[in-house]
Amino acid sequence: MVRVLFFGRLGDVAGVSKIDVDLTAEVTSLDLLRSWLGRGNPALVEALAHPSVKVAVDGTLVHADEGVSNASEIAFLPPVSGG
Amino acid sequence: MIRVQQEPFDAGEELALFTRRKDGAGAVVSFVGLVRSESGEVSELWLQHYPGFTERVLTAILADARRRFDIADALVIHRYGTLRAGDPIVFVAAAARHRRPAFEAADFLMDRLKTDAPFWKQERGDFGQRWIEPRAFDHEDAQRWDSESHHVAD
Repeated sequence: MVRVLFFGRLGDVAGVSKIDVDLTAEVTSLDLLRSWLGRGNPALVEALAHPSVKVAVDGTLVHADEGVSNASEIAFLPPVSGG
Repeated sequence: MIRVQQEPFDAGEELALFTRRKDGAGAVVSFVGLVRSESGEVSELWLQHYPGFTERVLTAILADARRRFDIADALVIHRYGTLRAGDPIVFVAAAARHRRPAFEAADFLMDRLKTDAPFWKQERGDFGQRWIEPRAFDHEDAQRWDSESHHVAD
């Protein structure tokens, strides 16, 4: 079971802010995960793949298309606005 | 120290406490950020954060400030949840032997919070709701610190 978190506007596009999913064996990379999460929702695939969106796997930012097979939490982070 | 909290804070009290702990510091600079009403258009601001991750990033920003500036200590308080126009949202304080590093550290911390702190803001009002993303000038402000000239010697 993997917990997927959608922050900010991504939650609106996904329709949920968090979802627990059982990834199928073929979903091994972030790229495949984006397509898998957005099946039936092309706007979500596009939003998740936007260059401004960062990804944290188990609380650590990842910069390339990392493997997700052993992840327990994957967060999609659109541009932040603190302060 | 950093604190991420839903509860309101009293900026005056926080400053008094922070100042009292700073024996030996010759200067304390503080900043309070308030929720803007945008001419009455925005009635509420909702801040989302990523528990655990947000705290870690704030801790790293504060550690960076301590590396760059000759400060004795710094404090960042940042709220999340539903806030109303006029509510305090962020508090930053820096203590140092001399005033310049304290001013610069507080300025640096606020610039970094704007562009790097994992919070997502949604404005709510009669217009409905809209997400806010950092503006170009926020990034320009943060980039001011990339130049070596801002590494301060005492």
